[in-house]
Amino acid sequence: MNKNLWFSKVHSWRSTNKVTSQWAQSANFSVSRLWTALIGSTLSLSVSASIPEASPKELLETVPAAAQVCLSCHGVNGEGLGVAGPRLAGLSSEYMAQQLSHFQSGKRQNSTMMAMAMTVQGDTIKLVSDFFAAKPVAAISLQYRGDKVVISDIGEKLAFQGDWEREIPACTSCHGPSGIGAGQFPRLAGQEPSYFKNQLLAWQKGTRTGDVDNMMGNIAKKLTAAEIDALTQYFSAQK
Amino acid sequence: MKLYYFSVAGVLLSMGLSATELPDRQAQLPSVPKDANAQYLTPSALSTIPKGEFGDKVTKGYQLFVNSQQMRNQYVGNELNCVNCHMNAGNKANASPLWAAYMAYPAYRKKNDKVNSYQERIQGCFTYSMNGKAPESGSDVLVALSAYSYWLAMSGLMNQFNLTGDVPVLSDAELLKGGNRPEFPLPEVISAKLDQKALTMLPGRGFPKLDKPEKPYSIERGNSIYLAHCQACHGQDGQGVKMAKVSALPPLWGPQSYNWGAGMHRVNTAANFIYENMPLGKSIQLSVQDAWDVAAYINAQERPQDPRFKGKIEQTKAGFHQHDGYYGKKPQNVLLGEKAYPNFPEASQ
Repeated sequence: MNKNLWFSKVHSWRSTNKVTSQWAQSANFSVSRLWTALIGSTLSLSVSASIPEASPKELLETVPAAAQVCLSCHGVNGEGLGVAGPRLAGLSSEYMAQQLSHFQSGKRQNSTMMAMAMTVQGDTIKLVSDFFAAKPVAAISLQYRGDKVVISDIGEKLAFQGDWEREIPACTSCHGPSGIGAGQFPRLAGQEPSYFKNQLLAWQKGTRTGDVDNMMGNIAKKLTAAEIDALTQYFSAQK
Repeated sequence: MKLYYFSVAGVLLSMGLSATELPDRQAQLPSVPKDANAQYLTPSALSTIPKGEFGDKVTKGYQLFVNSQQMRNQYVGNELNCVNCHMNAGNKANASPLWAAYMAYPAYRKKNDKVNSYQERIQGCFTYSMNGKAPESGSDVLVALSAYSYWLAMSGLMNQFNLTGDVPVLSDAELLKGGNRPEFPLPEVISAKLDQKALTMLPGRGFPKLDKPEKPYSIERGNSIYLAHCQACHGQDGQGVKMAKVSALPPLWGPQSYNWGAGMHRVNTAANFIYENMPLGKSIQLSVQDAWDVAAYINAQERPQDPRFKGKIEQTKAGFHQHDGYYGKKPQNVLLGEKAYPNFPEASQ
């Protein structure tokens, strides 16, 4: 797809409420898939309740118009939909807003997200980011540094102790206990494994940039393939 | 220099410090020049800490070191963890590694004009860097931190000289003293090669001394450096980032950081540390000038009061602050120390 064409379409459509559905169709995200995602997430939400609190339609009405384009891949509660899209719940508004602008400027390269991010401009960036940041995530049992001293799992060891011979700090020294994240540091705990792995690879390749002094690119470039797999498994399992 | 030293001692005596206090004259943290060919000690992996009573103390020392907040409101009065300044759990050369510190004590310190045991040195960290209350001499906390330091030092030395077997067990009383004493039990293979003086100056000790900056350091330039390279982790307001009730990223000033008596409030000490260890993971190397400038900026902010403060800033300044620092000065039209935060504050929410 011609990049300029995408840009012109996005710019001519933004700020109209119809944008989202038109956009979803043109980007091959069918409405039926959107509904499937909505119903699916509603069902999973209401497992313990006998009567659903809100119908899919009602639920959809609570979503800001600008955020509706996000739902087919990220879920109506930002819970993530497997390989379709990462979990947004648990990420800070600050981080999501920053990433949206990185997709727009090309500091983060992903053809789908670059186009989607273009539909969110100006004040709506914060609106959409706040919406997903407010979505709850289940509490996890947190592991603090030092809770475990002898760690055999490669991923868990890097997470809590790093590898200073290669100047790799513990992941948790910036991403917090169990990688729960805050501010500019995304939550790693419970993230979709395929997404998590792809991000580390993107940092390595330089298709993801935009953080201060290329902190994360610098660290990712030192990681081996086996370490990336181990980190993916470890953090994704924290939920 | 000597003249200066005696004059400071005179001020101290006239202030009538009692023997139980741990005064701090802000002697610069010891540092040895960085040598590109230096062979740093490589302590054994944590997985080799032995089972049993001694090993349990070593393990506890490690845990207190990386998660010092478990001593919050008891001995720790701010949101820092020991590991914030001593990288890699106190194991990293040129980040004041515990293994080098352990072999350097007991030692005379200008800081308090007496020979300090290793436990007394750690007590100083609690009083100043951790803005808290020093654990009682001989307490479990000090035994654990000493045991961990000793284990790093001895396993590192044994590895360097290809000695196998367990690190010899020491009694609590011996652990608390430190390794710089004639009766310190050292395998002969090691003592034959390294005399006591060499052991107190292991390569990588302290923070390596940084060259003087080309231009006098500047708070203003430091502010720009801070915004460009530091605020992502430490926050624009220097208050770090809290996650799950702990400061994952440490506050650098304000009520929850080190106090006006900590070594890090000296601009030169902070510059040494920053140049060698920041930004974390070294995605870039700051220039010498940048390190000095940003150290000045960070240390020109208000922080908790010097614990030796007796009500007069001028007196505290004259007694303890004749060095590269901003206590009792007005770097930005504000007299620093005047609005210092209380020591041992409540944890922030």
